[in-house]
Amino acid sequence: MPLRRLFALTSVAFVVVLAISPAKNALRPYRALQRRFAALGVARARSAQQARGYAARPVEIRQIWLPELDQRVDRCTTCHLGVGDPVMKGAPPPFALHPWTPHAPGQIDRFGCTSCHEGQGPATSEGQAHGTAKEAGPPLLPVAYVEGGCGRCHATQVVPEALVLSRGRAVMDRYGCFACHAAKGHEGFHSDAPPLSSEAVKTGAEWLRRWLKKPRDVDPNSTMPDFQLSAREIEELTHYVLGQDVPEDLARRVGAAADEPAGDVANGKKLFAEARCISCHTVEGKGQGSAPELSKVASAASRGWLLAYVRDPHAFNPRTPMPRYHFSDTESRDLVAYMEDEFRDFDAPADVLEPLHVNRTLAEAGEKTFRKYGCPSCHGAPGARSAEKFGPDLDGIGDKKAAFLDFGRRTDLPRTLTAWLTAKVDAPRSFAKGLRMPSYGLSAEDSQAVVTALLSLGAQPVPEAYRVLPASQPAPIPAGRVGELVDRYRCLSCHQIGDRGGDISTSPLTFEGSKVQRDWLVDYLVLSYSIRPILTERMPIFHMPREEAVQLADAIETIFVDPRVPEDPFRGRPASDADPAEGERLYTTLGCRGCHILGSKGGYYGPPLTDSGGRLKPGWTFAWLKGPQRWRADVRCPDYGLTDRDALRLTAYLATLHAPAAPARGAK
Amino acid sequence: MKRLLALGALVLIAAGCARPAPGKPAAAKAAPTSPSYELRLGRATYQHYCQTCHGETGAGDGFNAFNLDPHPRDLSDPRFQKAKTDADLADAIQRGGAGVGLSSLMPPWGKSLTREQVDQVILYLRSFEKH
Repeated sequence: MPLRRLFALTSVAFVVVLAISPAKNALRPYRALQRRFAALGVARARSAQQARGYAARPVEIRQIWLPELDQRVDRCTTCHLGVGDPVMKGAPPPFALHPWTPHAPGQIDRFGCTSCHEGQGPATSEGQAHGTAKEAGPPLLPVAYVEGGCGRCHATQVVPEALVLSRGRAVMDRYGCFACHAAKGHEGFHSDAPPLSSEAVKTGAEWLRRWLKKPRDVDPNSTMPDFQLSAREIEELTHYVLGQDVPEDLARRVGAAADEPAGDVANGKKLFAEARCISCHTVEGKGQGSAPELSKVASAASRGWLLAYVRDPHAFNPRTPMPRYHFSDTESRDLVAYMEDEFRDFDAPADVLEPLHVNRTLAEAGEKTFRKYGCPSCHGAPGARSAEKFGPDLDGIGDKKAAFLDFGRRTDLPRTLTAWLTAKVDAPRSFAKGLRMPSYGLSAEDSQAVVTALLSLGAQPVPEAYRVLPASQPAPIPAGRVGELVDRYRCLSCHQIGDRGGDISTSPLTFEGSKVQRDWLVDYLVLSYSIRPILTERMPIFHMPREEAVQLADAIETIFVDPRVPEDPFRGRPASDADPAEGERLYTTLGCRGCHILGSKGGYYGPPLTDSGGRLKPGWTFAWLKGPQRWRADVRCPDYGLTDRDALRLTAYLATLHAPAAPARGAK
Repeated sequence: MKRLLALGALVLIAAGCARPAPGKPAAAKAAPTSPSYELRLGRATYQHYCQTCHGETGAGDGFNAFNLDPHPRDLSDPRFQKAKTDADLADAIQRGGAGVGLSSLMPPWGKSLTREQVDQVILYLRSFEKH
């Protein structure tokens, strides 16, 4: 009897145990959510048939499987049922339609959810999926940093629809993060910080002390961070830097320049304006700002150094973006006379540029300090090994698990990767004693952007099918004399050629030879004037000798050309056949004068067209009018969708326009 | 504008479909309102293509407007905002002033901007009213 009872009891227990799992499953929250979603769908449906569709949806685990994206499985749609469903626009969470982005809701089937939002794709409970439950995997990325996900696939510096990511990448580039930290794709990074071997003939001890204390207090444009140095370290570094052996050639140049007679301030002022220094520098904040603020430069650098530097900046810093102007000796003296007269710091002590009697012991200690803080990463140093980076690699930093991060003293921080990274960027020394990363004083937006860019650095590259690489476009810069000139005038500091060069100028040179007339270009290089007078950043007057201008223009004419630009858009017929009068009418009816100045009328934004006949090749004008965005994706000149016939008429009209002063120039 | 930028940077937090993870970092603490991702894109597009004439606040006082006759319209005028539907605005942006019987100084953007960009700009234009 007891045996039977025992058997009955175990049977019951067995059934109960067997039932636990199905019961647990039946009570799982997603089932209730799916039923609620069905009811919501029925209520929101736009037709009876659609409503039936919602009602008939089975309750089940849903998933997006991405075999080509590392076999990723995202079951988020088990609860987020309306992410791709237009009927659910504005529905309550978790059912709402995904807000528009380039890949969602349109391409959720190709990208899934966790490729942007992270979290745990295969999980089917909220806590596990979002990473909020105990012992769950890494959590969802806060939406503020979601563009880090864009950067996993998009390797370009600028990702047009990821504003935060693009900003972060730009900030990292500007502040030279990759000088100390290695990351894939940034192997070629070089800081353009100056070598320090000639500081002793440039500046004085007091200026250097102030600089080392907080570079940005001295120059707001400076990208040198604050190393939070002690007074002793500052003194050591000052003695080390000013105690270096100045290369003989530079010492001689500065010494000789210091003995030259003073120049003409008034002429210097004119030269300063013509040289368009503020295309890169600022004067009291006015200017482009990638190069130093100049309003106090005469209290930062000696007259001899300024003079020698203006004449040949590349001798002092081979990597500087500053062009080597072609000033005559008198002109450079005038220019520096103006700077000495105007750009003084009247609050600086009288001895700000006094030389230092170098103490060898301090200088030796300074060398250790110099290496301790990784200064050679940007400034270089005798015997410095450049192959090894000073800081840790950044590859994979976006995939670090919070549990493995060292939070050190920062017990105040939430234990998440984003909080850790933000603190690392904002206050890198706050984690422990003896850390050496300097402080960059970034704004909250810049800091968020940098963290976003860091999150895009994954441990593994995404599969090839998903990668968006920078378009490689050759930059056919010839060697020899022309290459030397391109280097001397540092064309690439402002202009793009192929995939190289800066973005200060709005005019890439890649197809300049197809665009402008050679004779115009020669004149322009000799005496450049502003094509867009409204811009702060304008082409400097280099005082380029005509012979050099001819060489450059000829090279541009033959090398920087594009086969898409027709040689002769009129195909042998005279331009007058294309009816310039009709073109003039089009110019008015299309509203070109909204942006372009012609004579004295029109807007300021576009380049003036007063001399378009002398400046532009008709083939270019035609190719441009047929689709300006083909030549620069973000150009503001709208595509009017002109027919060939109308584009030719406008081309013919613009070819007749010549500046009154030079009626014949380029007409042939 | 600075305020707007700052807001824009902060507010991403609340936008989108994900729930905030625990422990938001310091930079992301306050999120009073939430200009969405689309609104931020719209602002960027507006600043790039429209602001030169229509001005930072939509008042029609961009630097390029100085020499224009007729002057660009004040987009922040509540009466204008009320009178125009989104479809009207999209039409004017895409076909230009000449396309909708107004001044040709407003160019047509339909071939240069995508439909999404136009919608985002309109979203941003609508935010002028509140300022």
